[in-house]
Amino acid sequence: MSESRIHGIVLSGVGGQGVLSLAQILLEALRRSDLHALQSEIHGMSQRGGSVHAQVCYSKVPLTSPILDEGGADLLIALEPLEALRYVSMLRMDGHLVVSEEPQMDMAGYPPLDDVYAALKAVRGAHLLDTEDLARRLNHRQAGGMALLGMASRFLPIDDDVWREVIAQRFEAKGARVTEKNLEAFEAGRGLIHDPVGA
Amino acid sequence: MTQSTLALGVEAVGCAAFDAGIKGAFGYPGTPSTEGFEAVELLIHGARDGRVAQWAANEKVAYDLALGLSYTGHRALVTMKHVGLNVAMDAFANSALTGVRGGLVLLVADDPGMHSSQNEQDSRRLAEFAWLPCLEPSTVQECYDFTFRAFELSEALQVPVMLRIVTRLAHCRAALARRATQAPTSLGLAPESTIQDWVLIPSNARRRYVDLLDKQPRLMAETTPLNRLVPGTVRRGVALAGMGRAYFGQLLHENPGLAALPRLEIAAYPVDPALEQAFLGQVDEVLVFEEDYPVLEERLGLRGTAAVRGRLDGALPRTGELSPRLLKKALDLEPPTGKAAISLELPVRAPRFCDGCGHVDAYGAVQQALANVGAPDARVFGDIGCYTLAAQEPMAAIHAVVEMGASISMAVGAALAGQTPAVAVIGDSTFGHSGLPALLTAADAGVNVTVVILDNRVVGMTGQQPSQALDQVERMVRGMGIAEDQLQVLLPVPKQHETNVAAMEAALRHPGPSVVVFRRECIQSIRRGVLKEHDREEKARQETACCGAEVRP
Repeated sequence: MSESRIHGIVLSGVGGQGVLSLAQILLEALRRSDLHALQSEIHGMSQRGGSVHAQVCYSKVPLTSPILDEGGADLLIALEPLEALRYVSMLRMDGHLVVSEEPQMDMAGYPPLDDVYAALKAVRGAHLLDTEDLARRLNHRQAGGMALLGMASRFLPIDDDVWREVIAQRFEAKGARVTEKNLEAFEAGRGLIHDPVGA
Repeated sequence: MTQSTLALGVEAVGCAAFDAGIKGAFGYPGTPSTEGFEAVELLIHGARDGRVAQWAANEKVAYDLALGLSYTGHRALVTMKHVGLNVAMDAFANSALTGVRGGLVLLVADDPGMHSSQNEQDSRRLAEFAWLPCLEPSTVQECYDFTFRAFELSEALQVPVMLRIVTRLAHCRAALARRATQAPTSLGLAPESTIQDWVLIPSNARRRYVDLLDKQPRLMAETTPLNRLVPGTVRRGVALAGMGRAYFGQLLHENPGLAALPRLEIAAYPVDPALEQAFLGQVDEVLVFEEDYPVLEERLGLRGTAAVRGRLDGALPRTGELSPRLLKKALDLEPPTGKAAISLELPVRAPRFCDGCGHVDAYGAVQQALANVGAPDARVFGDIGCYTLAAQEPMAAIHAVVEMGASISMAVGAALAGQTPAVAVIGDSTFGHSGLPALLTAADAGVNVTVVILDNRVVGMTGQQPSQALDQVERMVRGMGIAEDQLQVLLPVPKQHETNVAAMEAALRHPGPSVVVFRRECIQSIRRGVLKEHDREEKARQETACCGAEVRP
């Protein structure tokens, strides 16, 4: 990563999907990697099934702005395909997008799914994940978020040990089995990106 | 960095208040201020050292609780959102005259851009209005440090101090370095010699107002060290406050050339005119970056010595929040080129009621009953809460939402003008907040109004905080003077629909004031088990009371 540049991650999804929870894991992992990091989120009415998005900025130099400019994000992590499309213009030209293919269509005017997928695939640096299939294979209904984080981890300057530590701590209260299942999902996602460019 | 914890800006204020030795924290929930109280509440409950954290029925009550605690010599924190300060304004403005004993800090969270609010008023104006100091942090660490400073200032100057933050800072999470926690401090009860200072009868109030004005130079002397003038090498400068300061600081890292611009950095009000004068002496043109109202912009512009640019001349949009992009545009910096936006049309995913929410069933009954009495187009006055979502299409069940408690008074006003039926919809917590006096007036006026209380037993929207009206709604309604036979309590579930419609119809047809309570616990609250303990205790208490009655002779 750059010595002086501010790096950024955008996370998006639908209220209740765990966008803010993923953002907090990211923030903690960056902080433990001795980087300066800030996270921005919007609470309130948006929690009720609306669009939710969070941003995480990190840098080797101190940060004061929690907000990224359009074209300033290195990475977009989207838990829902339509919610990914809203933030594509936040990405740098060389930015990456990891996105779930699983739509949440309980809203008016959701565009045809084929159009949504086509638009996503046209984005350079897009990595789509069939989270529904993955959840089935891992027998873990909520594997999607952690798997996407695993994919994203390939583009981030965070050691494997730090990830494991932070994820384990996050799920500690829910018991060893939940922790194991989440680490498994994370690793499954991590294994899907073979040749990260720009990490 | 690993020595620190992670905290939201608004939580940092709560942590600081705890560490600065407050005895009590009070507040009313409201985004984006809520987590400030919750952070300090968590610490206080964990400490078990005699401190108190208490949600209040509304912001005015919260503020008065804080002022009373201050009177006893202890430090107090009171939290609210910007529009909550309107409710507490009477207390806030007059506490400037009484002054304080123990330090009193008001955390007020403004919401530029109206992410979760009905306006974007600027609390700095209200501090100025009350002749009180206001500190404005721009980072999470400053939220913490400024709160300490605010308590010291409050005790040194014997006035309440406002700490103003905005949504972006309130909900910015970052590393926070905390200081050692102080035990609750106490200066002792306000001395007998100062009693008349606290009694604002006109003769005392006139004297106290003069005292407050006399304090202003000292107040400015205390706030001035937080503001600074950084000289530059060109005649174009920037004036910065709050997030404007944070965003510019970031741009400075990326564009070192910006260091040539002289800058006036404001973190505390009132601002010393001499500092403004010194800054204006170095520039011919100023760009002002501040959140919400053009407070600094107007002050600097009034001097007429430099071209002052910002929200008033169109260099920045007149409304909405600042962003790094807006600063770049105003500063003629090249924005980064990123990926192209998607050409596909992306409809808005609006927030909606949770699946299985009782409000939906309640609104269904209200709308059906209105249709049955021949008034399907009746205008319904709504209020503030999750149930405000019903204003959206396709439900479109409420047709006015203004401020906390307005539903009842507006319906009474409409009824007095002859509107029939006149219907208000209000939540249980909002009813406790400011619906009570309105219902008292409704009963007194005897007008034909139907008040629907959606009782989900918690403050749903802000995160299921306890509602002060819990298990009390019927008693409150009766107490306001509503006749027993005009109070109905219904269960909003699909299989009760017909019964509920019939009951609602009866209320609409009644020619005087009537109240229909739809009670079902918030789905999110059930999921989190918020009231489990309360309900278990209540059940045990009732069983004991029942058995006790049986053995009594």
